[in-house]
Amino acid sequence: MLVSISLILFVTVLFGLGFAGRFVEQAHFKRLVDHEQMRGDFLVTQLKTYPGAVPGQRSPTMVCAEVVIASDYLKNFFASWQDFFGGEICSYSRMTDRAKREALKRLIDEARSLGYNAIGNFRIETADIGDRRTKGAEAMSSWIGYATAYHCDTRAVTG
Amino acid sequence: MIVTNTETISDYTIQETLGLVQGNTVRAKHVGRDIAAGFKNSVGGELKGYIELLTESRREAMPRMLAQAQQLGANAVVNVRFSTSSITSGASELYAYGTAVVVNPA
Repeated sequence: MLVSISLILFVTVLFGLGFAGRFVEQAHFKRLVDHEQMRGDFLVTQLKTYPGAVPGQRSPTMVCAEVVIASDYLKNFFASWQDFFGGEICSYSRMTDRAKREALKRLIDEARSLGYNAIGNFRIETADIGDRRTKGAEAMSSWIGYATAYHCDTRAVTG
Repeated sequence: MIVTNTETISDYTIQETLGLVQGNTVRAKHVGRDIAAGFKNSVGGELKGYIELLTESRREAMPRMLAQAQQLGANAVVNVRFSTSSITSGASELYAYGTAVVVNPA
């Protein structure tokens, strides 16, 4: 009896937190998609050559953004199953996708706030943060992204 | 000081290449932050405390690199890269490196 009650409680909490996480994730994806559609003529490349640079403007400068996204309990639970059978762990793929897109979003926002309209040589790298808790129990995705912001004549590049 | 992660700077020519400059830092977050991150891990989402940790690390490592560049008499640092490693639990290393150069407007 006690075992079944605690099991039900465990499953309820697991799914409750999981659905909260799912809700947060979907809201985040919506913000990302909105931002990506509002990007307009902001040019993002990972070229080293300043395509379409406008001479005589303020000199280019580097912009950086850090993002750390945590997984939720439900994700961990499904991931442990997937880990047993092998194959893609979709919930974790989505988590890292979220983190990287958020990093790009922040880079663009920072470049825009500084008055630039393009970023070049976009790089993104994993940023390891040692986890104080048991290793592997709680997954997270941490990234540092950086790029060089400059003034660009977007129409000259994209045609 | 112009800082870019490209090898050249648009509208400028590199006159002198002074060499590698670097800055690093190892930072840890206090336990409270780790516990807060632990709670956040139950529902998922952004871990603000750890983002702050990375931002603080960058703000510490970059000026160290720039100070070296200044000492060499550079007015720009090009091809800046970051590298990270986790030294121990709750601490992270951030290493910034680039090439100090003297540039002139083209």
